[in-house]
Formats: sequence, C-alpha cells, structure tokens
Amino acid sequence: MLLQLNNLFKWVNSGGQRIFLLKDINLEVEEGEFISIMGPSGSGKSTLLNVIGMLDGFDEGEYHFLDESVHTLKEKHRANLYKEYIGFVFQSYHLLDELTVKENLEMPLIYKNFKGSERKAMVADMLDRFSIVGKKDLFPSQLSGGQQQLVGIARALISNPKLILADEPTGNLNSKQGEEIMDIFKQLNDDGVTIIQVTHSEKNAEYGSRVINLLDGRMI
Amino acid sequence: MFKNHLKLAWRSILKNKLFSTINVIGLSIGLCAAMVIGAIVYYDFSFDRFHPDSDRIYRITTVFKSNDAEFSNRGVSVPLMRTFQEGVPGVELTAPFFNTSFFKVENREADLSFRNAENAILADDAYFKLFQYKWLAGESKSALSEPGQVVLSREKAERYFPHTQMANVVGRTLIYNDSIPVKVTGVVADFEKKSDLRFTEFMSLASAKMFDGKDVASNDAWNSTSSGDQLFIRIKDVSSVPAIQSRLDALALEHKSTEPWAINDERLFVLQPLADIHFGGKHGDYPFNNSDHVASMTVLKSLAFVALFLLLLGCANFINLTSAQALTRAKEIGIRKTLGSSKKQVVRQFLVETFIMTLLAAVLSLVLAPVLLRQFTDFLPGDIDLSVLYSAKGAVGILVLVIVVSLLSGFYPAFVLSKFRPVLVLKGQFSKGDKGVRLRKTLTVFQFVVAQVFVIATVLVGKQIYYVMNKDMGIKTDAVAYVYLPWSNNSDVKKERLFHQIKDIKGVSNVSWGNNPPTSNNTSSSILTYYKDGAEMHQETEFLWGDLSYLKTYQIPLLAGRERLNDSIREYVVNETFAKALGFQNAPDVVGATVKLDTMSISIVGLMKDFNQRSLRSTINPMALTGDWGNGGYSNFRSIHFDLGKDTGQWATSIAEIERAWASVFPDEEVEVEFMDETVEGFYRRERSTMQLLKWATGLAIMISCLGLLGLAVYTTERRVKEIGVRKVLGANLAQLNLLLCKEFLLLVGIAFIISVPISWYLIHEWMQSFAYKTSMSWWVFLSSGLGMVIVALAVIGSRTYRAANINPVESLRTE
Repeated sequence: MLLQLNNLFKWVNSGGQRIFLLKDINLEVEEGEFISIMGPSGSGKSTLLNVIGMLDGFDEGEYHFLDESVHTLKEKHRANLYKEYIGFVFQSYHLLDELTVKENLEMPLIYKNFKGSERKAMVADMLDRFSIVGKKDLFPSQLSGGQQQLVGIARALISNPKLILADEPTGNLNSKQGEEIMDIFKQLNDDGVTIIQVTHSEKNAEYGSRVINLLDGRMI
Repeated sequence: MFKNHLKLAWRSILKNKLFSTINVIGLSIGLCAAMVIGAIVYYDFSFDRFHPDSDRIYRITTVFKSNDAEFSNRGVSVPLMRTFQEGVPGVELTAPFFNTSFFKVENREADLSFRNAENAILADDAYFKLFQYKWLAGESKSALSEPGQVVLSREKAERYFPHTQMANVVGRTLIYNDSIPVKVTGVVADFEKKSDLRFTEFMSLASAKMFDGKDVASNDAWNSTSSGDQLFIRIKDVSSVPAIQSRLDALALEHKSTEPWAINDERLFVLQPLADIHFGGKHGDYPFNNSDHVASMTVLKSLAFVALFLLLLGCANFINLTSAQALTRAKEIGIRKTLGSSKKQVVRQFLVETFIMTLLAAVLSLVLAPVLLRQFTDFLPGDIDLSVLYSAKGAVGILVLVIVVSLLSGFYPAFVLSKFRPVLVLKGQFSKGDKGVRLRKTLTVFQFVVAQVFVIATVLVGKQIYYVMNKDMGIKTDAVAYVYLPWSNNSDVKKERLFHQIKDIKGVSNVSWGNNPPTSNNTSSSILTYYKDGAEMHQETEFLWGDLSYLKTYQIPLLAGRERLNDSIREYVVNETFAKALGFQNAPDVVGATVKLDTMSISIVGLMKDFNQRSLRSTINPMALTGDWGNGGYSNFRSIHFDLGKDTGQWATSIAEIERAWASVFPDEEVEVEFMDETVEGFYRRERSTMQLLKWATGLAIMISCLGLLGLAVYTTERRVKEIGVRKVLGANLAQLNLLLCKEFLLLVGIAFIISVPISWYLIHEWMQSFAYKTSMSWWVFLSSGLGMVIVALAVIGSRTYRAANINPVESLRTE
C-alpha cells in the first residue's frame, strides 16, 4: 500500500461557522494505481490533492504514507518525504519564466543535492525520453502550452517519484495536446508510477483505473 | 476633477500603508535635513543685510605675506585711518573705531559699580552715520564729537541706571576706570535684525587720550596692526573700488617696514565688503574682537551637500518604490483608460498623489526639525532657531521645496504608469519583464553608494580624531593644569604670594611659572641670527617662557646640556627641530652655540626633546625656552602651571583650595583653572563637530537606504511568490530560498561598495591634508564598513525573504 487516509477532515472557520472543505475522507491507494478525482467546482478536489501532496495540512484524521504517519511528522520530515517520493504537475505548468527548459528540469535535482555530473546525465536522459532535446535552451515563453506541460511532467518525473499528483494537467490545453499528455500519463502508469489526477473531463478520467467522485468535500 | 484626484489619491495612499509609510518617512528625512540646513544657511546669510547702502560699505583689513605663508588681520594700522579721514577720492564716509573694554564703570549718584564693561568701542559720529541705530534718547548728530561722551545701548543704560527713563539717562555722568568722568549723550536700541555689530557702549573717539588709547590724530605706527582697530568706509559707488584699492596698494608700499627681518614680508590693505564680514573673508577671521561665531562657506557648502544628498536619497526611494509598485496598480489604470482617461490625466492624478505624500512628509519634518537641530547646537551659534521656517518666506521656501521634490520623485513613476496599454492589462497579458528594473537597481546602488561613503567617512574621521587626541604630543597632558593671572593689578608681590600659596597645597606638585602652556593656539616668535661658517643665518623661532621647573611640570626631557642657571639669565634651551634647522646633524651639538636676538648674544645651554606646540594639524617648529627677561620691564611669567597628582579624588579639593588662594590674593578677579588635556581637546572642536554632523548624516542615509531596500525587497518577494512556491514544491528549503532572494540585493550592495571605496578614499584623503599627522587609511576600515553595510542590508532583506519563503505554496500556486 502506498498511502492511506482515515476519517480525514479539513475545515475553515468563517463568520463563526465551520465550513468543511473535506469531510470524512477514507482512501487507500495501492502502488501502480491511476486514480482520477472528479467533481464540480468547489467540491474539494484540489484540496484533497494538496493534502495528499503534503502541501496542505488537515484538521482531523490520519494519513499514512508508505510506513510513515504523516499526521505525526514535523514540517521538515514531511518536506523530505514529498521531496523524495512525490512529483507535482500543475494546470498552469508553473515553470520558472527566467530559466531555460534544461534549467527548469535541473532545479529539483539541485534541491536534492545531486552532483553536477549526475544532474547533467539525468536531465539529458529526460530530454531524450520526452524528445525535447531540441528545445533544451528555450525559455518557457517560447514553447506552446502542450510543450510547456511536457516539460512540467518531465520536471515532476526527473527524480523518480513513486507518486505523481496532477491538478488538471490538461486544463489549459487544446484537445489534441491534452490527448498527448494523457497518453504520456498512461505510459508512465504502465511503467509502474502511481498517478492521482484531478480532472473535469470524463474522457480523461477513463485513462485511470479508478474514479473518486467528490461533492462538497465528501466522497460519494 | 481636482477633488476627485484628491480623494482617490488619499485612498490609494491609505490602501498601501506600508509603501506610503516608507515613502513618507524617506521623504521626510530628506526634507527635514533640508529644512534644518536651510535654516542654518539662511541664518548665516542674513547678517548685516539691512543697513542702508550696505552694498557700498566696506571694511579695510590687512593681509601679511611672508615667504609662502599668508596671515590676515581684521584691523589696520592707525595712521591709515587718518589718511582716510583726511580724504581719499571715491570714499564718501570714513568711520574708524577701536574695540576696547573698561575695567570699572560707576554710577556714583546711585552708588553702583560695575566691573569689566565689555563690547565697548571708541568711535566718532561717523559710526552712527554709517550704521543707523534707533535712538531712544539723545541724537546722533554730535553724540560722540567731544571727549568724555558715551552712548549706551538700552541694555547697558538699564543696567547702569536702573528704574530710570531713557530720556533721563541722557546728561548723567558715569565714572570710568576709577577716575574718568563721562557724560551719557544718547541711548540706542540694539539692531532688531541680525548683526555682527554687537557693541553696547560707544565712547567718543576724542576720549581716547583719557583712556591711554591710540589717538588717530597723532599715532604714527604704520607697522603696528591690532585686530581691534577697525576702519569702515562708505564708497561713492562700486566703480570707485579699483581706484581705492590702488591707493591702498600705494600706501602699503610707501609705509613698508624697513626692518631687516621684514625684507621678504609684504603687507596688503584689502577692501572687504560688509556682506563678507560674517563669513570671515578669505582667511576665516572672526567678524570682530567680541564675536563668538564666524560662518564658514566650506561648512555651509558641505551642509548643503548633505541636505541635497539626503533629499535625493528620499526621491530615489520614492521613484524606486512607486515604479516597483506600478504593476499592482496596472489594472486600475487599465480600467481608467478604457473609461476614457487620457494619458495626461493619469499623470496628473499620480502627481497629485505624490504631492500629497510629500506634503505629509513636510508636515512630519516640521515636527522633527527641532529635534534634528538640537543635535547640532554644540557647534552652531546659540541664537539660531527655526523661526524662519514658520515665517512667510519660510512657508514659500517649503512650498517650493515640496513642489520640486514631488516633481522630481513623481515624474518618472507617473510616466511609467500612464504608459500601460489598457487592452493588454485587462486581458491579464501584462508583460512581466518591466523595463524599470534597471533604473530601480541603479537608484538602489546610488543610495547605497551615498550611505557607504558616509559610513566610511565617519569611521575614518573618527579614527583620525581618536589618533590626534591620543597621540603622544611629547608633553604630559593629564593631571596638568594652569591658571592665567589677571591682566591688570598684578604686582610682583601678589603674584609671588599666589604662587607660594598654590605650592603649599597638598597634592599639588611641580608648580612652575610660565606664559602659555607648551601646546596652545598662541604663539610668539622672533628671528634669531646665527653665524655659521662666516655666513649669517636667520631662523624664525617660537618662544616658550618658563621657569626652571617648567620642563619638569610638563615632563619634557632635557636631552643634552643643562637647564638655564636662573630665570633672568640670557640663555636658551632649544628643541631638536631648532638644532636641525640650524644645520646640526647631531642635535646635541647645538649646545654651546650662540645666537643673536637683535643685538643681544644668547647662548644655547640645553637641548629639549621635540613636542607638538600646536594641534597635530601643524608640524613641530623650531623653539626656544627662555626665562623672564627682555620684555621691556613687563613680566612674561603670566601663568602658574602645576601637576594635580595621580589621585583624581583629590583634584576637586586641590582646585577648591587654589580658588580660595586666588580669592585671597585677587578678590576682584575671576579665576579659571584650565586643564591641559581639555586645552588639547579644544584644538579639535571643529573636527568633532564634523564628526557629529557625519554621524547624523550617516544614520539618516542608512535609514533611507534601508527603507528603500525594504520596499524593494517587499516588492520583489511579492512578485516572486509563485516562483518561491514552485521551488518549494520542488524541494527547496528555507536557507536555499533565502539565499536565492538575498543574492540579487547583496550584489547591488556589493557594487555600491566598490563604487564608494575610491570616492570616500579621495574625500577623506583631501580632508586629512589639513593635518600634519595623519592616521593610516587602513584597508580594514573599508572592509569592515562594507561588511557592516552587508549585515544591515541582510537584516532588512532577511526580514522579508524569511516571510516569503515561509508562505505555503498551496496559497501561492492556487490556480489563477
């Protein structure tokens, strides 16, 4: 088992009222799964994804990731944990504008203290794998949306994560680009990477092995 | 429209509280400095501007040239006055006067007696024609034409004749100096406006003989100049200046000293415009003998520069912050423009906002100005105040300042803001690579160059002051004190009595007779003649008077030979520099030589070790220690020097006993015990005021620059929130993020440091030229100043970057 959420609650207090963002979430994810989280706007999809990604905390319940109990961990350990095992892909790519493709890919490796030569090899590998060698010295603004997302995925993958969290990865792309990206996810999943994506599209959800539907913070 | 501008401007100021606060504080520091310094400059420029025809009033002063050196004297020789009184073409009015003082004034009717009447002059009616006083009683026409006439100021009149109407004071008689009856012929009011002519007692010039004073009519001493002998003239018109000057040159040549030692000397008579007097002319002399302040153009100029830089720093801050902030206001301007606002209107709106902000800053600075002024009271004249700021003139000045500052700081940001293209802004396609970045970086570098130069200058000036105050001058300065005897009424018996009483006080040792202390601002020198290998050598030599214990009191070692045999024998003990000046390679060989003073032969019997005779601005000059002879019967031993011993607890008692002894010998005179170390400290008063000014300028410059840096850091970190979020998600830790964010700022501070090093080196190098003894400009001063700046900058930036790096990426990466 990769991760497990037990009776997880998250809320905010607003005007003396407690508004639940996540309500009694129970979820088990096995390694190698490809899960799609669906639901209308405001149903808590992104919140759930952020909680799983350890970027956001929660108010009640338990979260186990591999053998660690996330809810008892300190900030620093949590950061080490997701740095090691989790890669993120965003709807609006979040590439750094002032870095080239190559430098964007290299950045996570710097933060994981890889040596220069290793970093070079891993970046080259990744450029090769996604066939973007020719674009390595371009800046994000010089790429199309699909290409930018490709770089975003490559960046998420570069340090060999066990789990990829994707928040509407095709949301800003046209259908053809979207399809290409989903194909890549499929292929990654076949290679053994666990993927959790948030999506609006039924079609994209079909790529996955399991769909979780959320409504007002509750799994239905 | 304008009201709308005002309202919007006010709201937007309130909306961005942090930026507005930083802007207002930055501007107000600059404005405050400008106001205070403006008031100081105005003060010095407002002296004696009110006299009728003041542009035609000149004073004649004397400049002496000897070899390469130039000295000046604000007085002239007395016969020159007579020459002018007899008539010089182009001169309309000649008004000579003599500074004087009276040791006693009595109003015998009321049985009142007053000591030491000061601020007095001997003058004639021409004085009151030249300078128009308001007459409270009597009249100016013939008030000073006869002997035994005096005109008083209101304050003096009230003092001498208490509870008497001014009109009744006229005609009364005062007894001066025990026996001279003088009739009061008038009472004048002090000038209401500022003037250096602060005289309160005007004795008729014709009374000079009664007071043993110099008589203009008969005095013929063309080669004697005293600073109290003043000659003012009013010329017909400015075009007659060259003619008068050539007449003066001719007179100087005609009456040149014919003494053999004066062969290389030159004396010039110089015309000094009335407006120059307050600034001491070319040589920085005090305006009059009784003045306590002379304005220095150099000081005023440096003050003006300080104000200018602080103002520019404030403006730079404003430009920096506002153009950085422009992005956040882009949307507002886009909307405005789509609703039909023209570019001009955006500019106007923005300038109104700047104006309001500057106005706020001006109000704040008016509140702060008195606080700032108080810091400089030590070296400013006592009566200086900020009232000019609240006058109509001041209000106009401040308004102009505010307008100039708002234009200076508001123009560029307004221009940038108004250029936004509404379509792009509203579609959210606003380009992020804004061009103002380079300008902002340049401005930040400028700010830090100024701050850094101030820091380095302060440290180096401090180091120099520490150096000169602590350098061994070659004499004992701690625990040594001296007391000058009164000028008059000091018979030998009284002197001896005081000397012995002081000698008997417990704890006081090494009591000796002397004149000036070995290190002082007073010097007296003559030419000594020495025959060397048949050739005649003239050596200018400073004299130091002291008895046989004098060297011991100041612990000046005798290197060779012996002390003089007694106090009245014609023998010299000379210093090493003298020996070298006479050409003795081996200084002790000078012992046994004979020199001539005029026609007297004097043998050199001892060699004393060199010490500094003046502040460390000057080098050591040839000097001879001599006894009490050769002053035409007058004694040169005018002061008593003594050592108060190591036990500082005992000092107060010893001094109290000295004062008691003094009171028993000179009951009518005041005593002042002067400490040698305080005398030395006094040499550097100017340097210490420079230091005070520098400290403040530095503090303010650092403060403004750091405010600017803080603003820039806020802006940058806010702009890079997304990037920080991404990096954090990808695994960057706090330290890495902080480093990333600080790097670019530290680069700016570093560049500023590199630029400021040569500038400050040059400035301080120039400043140090006025010292003969200089401290080294050590590399560590520069380095540590730079490091200090980096640490301050880091603290400022760090406070922001730490916060930015702590933001949860979930917040910052929420899909836009």
